[in-house]
Amino acid sequence: MKPGMLKAYIHVIKLAFIFTLKQSMTDAFILFGIFVQPLLIAIMALFILGDQGDELVIFIVVGSGLTGLWDSVLFQSGNSITRERWTGTLEVLVAMPTPIAVIVFGKNLAFVTQALGSMIVAYTFASIIFGYPLSIESPMLFILSIVLTVLSFVCLGLVLATLFVLNPDVQRWQNGLEFPVFILAGFLFPIAILPMWTTPLSYILAPYWAAVALHLSSSGKPNILEMGLPWVMMVLLGVLYLFLAFWLFRKMLFKARVDATLSGQ
Amino acid sequence: MNTIEVRDLRRIYKTTVGVVRRKIKEVVAVDGITFDVNRGELFGLLGPNGAGKTTMIKMLTTLLIPTDGTANILGYDVVHQANAIRSRIGFIFGGERGLYWRLSGIDNLRYFASLYHVDPEVTMKRIPQLLELVGLSDRGDEKVEGYSRGMKQRLHIARTLLHDPEILFLDEPTMGLDPVGGREIRQVIRDLQSEKKTILLTTHYMFEADALCERVAVIDQGRIVALDTPEALKQGVSDLSVIEIEVFGVPEEVMNQIRNLPFVDTVSVEDLDQKQALHVHSAKGSEAIPPLLSALESVRVGKVTVREPTLEDAYVRLVGGKV
Repeated sequence: MKPGMLKAYIHVIKLAFIFTLKQSMTDAFILFGIFVQPLLIAIMALFILGDQGDELVIFIVVGSGLTGLWDSVLFQSGNSITRERWTGTLEVLVAMPTPIAVIVFGKNLAFVTQALGSMIVAYTFASIIFGYPLSIESPMLFILSIVLTVLSFVCLGLVLATLFVLNPDVQRWQNGLEFPVFILAGFLFPIAILPMWTTPLSYILAPYWAAVALHLSSSGKPNILEMGLPWVMMVLLGVLYLFLAFWLFRKMLFKARVDATLSGQ
Repeated sequence: MNTIEVRDLRRIYKTTVGVVRRKIKEVVAVDGITFDVNRGELFGLLGPNGAGKTTMIKMLTTLLIPTDGTANILGYDVVHQANAIRSRIGFIFGGERGLYWRLSGIDNLRYFASLYHVDPEVTMKRIPQLLELVGLSDRGDEKVEGYSRGMKQRLHIARTLLHDPEILFLDEPTMGLDPVGGREIRQVIRDLQSEKKTILLTTHYMFEADALCERVAVIDQGRIVALDTPEALKQGVSDLSVIEIEVFGVPEEVMNQIRNLPFVDTVSVEDLDQKQALHVHSAKGSEAIPPLLSALESVRVGKVTVREPTLEDAYVRLVGGKV
């Protein structure tokens, strides 16, 4: 990388982040995914599990917020390249000197960050409407877990975005990927109740380790060592997703230039 | 070294046809094209729809990989040195797409400037200058979704100048614009030409190529059928006159009868709402009118005029009557 490029890329990520947020805030579909759907899941979970103690309520709030984060990665980040193709901007972006992966990273960061709003909505709803006393037991650990969650989700979003372009058959399963990850990642109940053979699948998902870290830091007072495993796993999986995504980006762009599929017309 | 060097460039598209027995069908879009563009030249690619002009531009802007042949921009290969080319060129692909409609014109320009790695301070100075150049100074803070087609096209031009590129690729920049919008874009292109930018322009508007281009390559079915200055191309039909005849519904057999007349070089038909205009190229000039009117005996005929040939007539002759 040439000197000064890192600064230029950070500027690109910043503007991609700001302008994606600006556009998303006027999109009813995105606003529904962030604010309404997690709220419905929280209400449902509170009615089912709410009488089992106040400590379970924060588990539900965090879990339903995670469903919003995953939806955002699956549907917003996953479609980030396809959407550029529909609007005719993909060709413009590819013909520019900034790598498309840097641009999509900035966009995905915006999608995942705005999805944090779903956690805030669920939290506010449970404490104000349902009157549950809610508090984050280890706020500093929780905030650090949130940062790692966002970054690992963004990296996972890069993989999905390229995969959905490279293989439209996989994109047809997009809706089908929503609930299995809710379950495998243990957003709303522990994976210990699932069959043993599903455990390795959970372990390769950053959302699972994000759920572990966020549930631990919000519901109890874990020490740094207990938090270490989910944090390290999020970092490792994030880096792995990143390498996989860059390889897929190269493959996708070369294929698109050969097959003439950048314009989507 | 020429700014743009194209050698035997070929591009084949592969599509699948059929449902049960799927077959791969090959379409040759560009078929062995060779040309050079000099530094500071405004070079035109002319051709009917589907001739291969857009495919050509997309290969030169690194968006498509050629099937065969080579193309160099400022000495860089379009396939293997795409990144070196991308920061040195600007491009417009005709139409309204390629902008973020929910953002303002200024936000679009800020974003694209960052993608060209233009320093943010330079960007903030350059954006008002470019909006002034393309006549959008008073609308820059409005969302693009409220822009007319011509305004979007002008914003595209501003976008393509953000990084002050050495070479511009303009693919049908006036396509679909009203006459005033088209004239404004042509004026911007003239201004860029006076700044000695190298420009490769595709169009199927002959008067546009005639007014702007220093040299023109006429493409038909993926091949160059002529390459010269507009004046030299017009010279190629200077032996002919053009007889324009207004008709109201002309049957195909009458058209064939006219085509077979010994003094007729080419015939093209232009649809004008409820009537058509026949453009007959002939060396006989006004002497050809009586036998032509005899052939059109069964058809209602309006105004008949004879005029000198234009670049459009040279083009029609080259592409065999396809417009």
